[in-house]
Amino acid sequence: MDRARRALFAALACLSFAFSLSSANAQDIKIGYNSDQSGGGAAEHGLSGRYGVEAAVEDINKAGGVLGRKIVLINRDDTGQPPKSIQNMNELIDSEKVVAVIGPTNTGNALAWLHLPQQKKVPVISHVATGTEITKRYEKEAKNYIFRVSMVDREQVALLVAYAVKASKTKKIALIADSTGYGQGGVKDATEILKLHGVTPVANEKFQPKDTDMTSQLSKVKNSGADVLIVYALADANAHLMKSMAKMNFFPVTVGSWANLATPFVNIAGKKLAENLIFAASVTETSNERAKALNARILAKEKNLPIFVCAAQGYDAMMILAAAIKKAGATDGEKLQAALESVDGVQGIIKSYNKPFSKTNHEGLGVADFRLAKWKDGKVTDFVDAVTKSITAADLKK
Amino acid sequence: MEAILQAVLSGLALGGIYALVALGFNITNNTTKTLNFGQGEFLVAGAFVGVTLVLVLSGKGHVGVLQPEDVTLVKYLTGLVGIIAVLGTLGVFLYYTAVKPFVGAAGLAWVMSTIGFGIIIQNTALGIWGPAPLAIPSPLGNEVIRIGGAGILPQEILIFAVSVLVMVALDLVLLRTKIGKAVRAVAHNKNAAALMGINVPAIVILAFVVSSCLAGLGGLLVAPITTASVFMGLTLALKAFSAAIIGGLDNPRGCILGGFMLGLIESLIGLWHAELREISIFVLIIVVLVVKPEGLLGRKIVEKV
Repeated sequence: MDRARRALFAALACLSFAFSLSSANAQDIKIGYNSDQSGGGAAEHGLSGRYGVEAAVEDINKAGGVLGRKIVLINRDDTGQPPKSIQNMNELIDSEKVVAVIGPTNTGNALAWLHLPQQKKVPVISHVATGTEITKRYEKEAKNYIFRVSMVDREQVALLVAYAVKASKTKKIALIADSTGYGQGGVKDATEILKLHGVTPVANEKFQPKDTDMTSQLSKVKNSGADVLIVYALADANAHLMKSMAKMNFFPVTVGSWANLATPFVNIAGKKLAENLIFAASVTETSNERAKALNARILAKEKNLPIFVCAAQGYDAMMILAAAIKKAGATDGEKLQAALESVDGVQGIIKSYNKPFSKTNHEGLGVADFRLAKWKDGKVTDFVDAVTKSITAADLKK
Repeated sequence: MEAILQAVLSGLALGGIYALVALGFNITNNTTKTLNFGQGEFLVAGAFVGVTLVLVLSGKGHVGVLQPEDVTLVKYLTGLVGIIAVLGTLGVFLYYTAVKPFVGAAGLAWVMSTIGFGIIIQNTALGIWGPAPLAIPSPLGNEVIRIGGAGILPQEILIFAVSVLVMVALDLVLLRTKIGKAVRAVAHNKNAAALMGINVPAIVILAFVVSSCLAGLGGLLVAPITTASVFMGLTLALKAFSAAIIGGLDNPRGCILGGFMLGLIESLIGLWHAELREISIFVLIIVVLVVKPEGLLGRKIVEKV
């Protein structure tokens, strides 16, 4: 008994020593990063996002840091699991005392812990998760600590529908989606936005996320006479959809969400079939010079960069955060939150952020910032055709 | 019309996968009256061992992206040899650790122990390969073959052909050979079989080796269609088990029939209402269990006293 107790004390002593080591440089400004980097389908997003945030931290520190202090990124992998994500959040806020958090990758994980940073007044910028509710949950409170620099589902759908309606010659548009919350949420948004354009979808089909053959559903789409198909599902299912289209030799104009940026899409469908789907993206590695430079820089350091868009969004989120800390002149949560709502003129990769946030708007990116993209020979490139050129601001109804 | 033909082709392709895995259930059931409930995870192991061998032979390490030109028939078949070696060994392990201690004993301890063995395999695979699926292009290419306007992939035809071939082979071995006779004798009555000079443990181990190898073969065959994923086992094994129950767990022909029926139901119901697919499958299972509990082609066992 006595020996056990002594061992316990020794272990505790070691632990506290380890903690004191990690918090040695109290001068640094700590930013938490909490994302899936090894778990399921979102690991590529979390990893790419981290590369972007790290690049931004490097740039900021090279320029002398913020408030004369260095920025340090405290990284936590949530493996895509909500319980782990909650635990990470508690650790980052309570033990590491970070001033803000960037993350997570999964909407479900965000919804599991949003109350923690909100109660403890630690601003969060979500750089990947797309669920609409994330920034809305605390909208009505005096101060909302949740911000985002990512592609909100509804904003993506607004662009997809605008393209779909213009590209359709017969105005017969069909929907197909997986049966999960993600797919059905997309269907709901698409149906509502199509209505704003005066179009009712001619078919609305579902499949299971693990299905590998969608020919039956596609037969119904074909019979409905649709010439444009909007698909809302994750990368692997979308790849199987492409393969089923090839089986039927039926290729309507197909548009989908940014989920198709993930590499399983091109790996499963193959380079050639992957070129048949047009999808929304906030930026691609060919969009502008800043994007090209960031892509090259990360690739020089890491062996691959699966999803450039996430790196760009991570980079921009970190830059906005640094600008806000500078503006607040402090790292105190309340002041930082106020500074985020008024920060101005931040040069990011995707765009120059002029007053990206306000009291009522916590979305750094919107449909006006998005573009359409496509896989070409195994790489994501901007997609431009006569229809994309004819889309005006008035078409982007939401 | 074209839509129905497409649904039939897709259904047969899907059904072939279920049928192949269902055969694995049939073999152990016939010899030990036990089932490997970790069959799905053996499928996972097979898929990963196969894909990894192809990756290594292409000089890409154990996790990587395969291009269509990397996957030649020779490498694919080498993968198969590797699978037989690894999965066969796993089958022996499974028998000694998770089945033998409990077989014949009262209770259903082997249900839990085989599930547990499967989970151990799954998590080992998770540790080695991680959760991201590994895609492998088909060695037969991705050119769609057209039959009367409907399309099917060469890999799907391969799965269909292999499942039928394996069934015929099993049928022949069971009914026409000495070993088959021994297997049937063991299935019928272990003690009597032993008294007749049949090496019962050897026959039983053989059954587990063959069953594991079939799961591994299934994994290698479906990987080009579904990708190799640590989580692919459960759904496939559940469908395959359902197929075996519908067709008759003790009859290889029944297992094949059940597999193809399930595949066809899935794709044909999908033409009507995709969300009713699972419902119709499990309604069918209940109906079969009530009307003909031994399965459509199963044999009613009459115990003579």
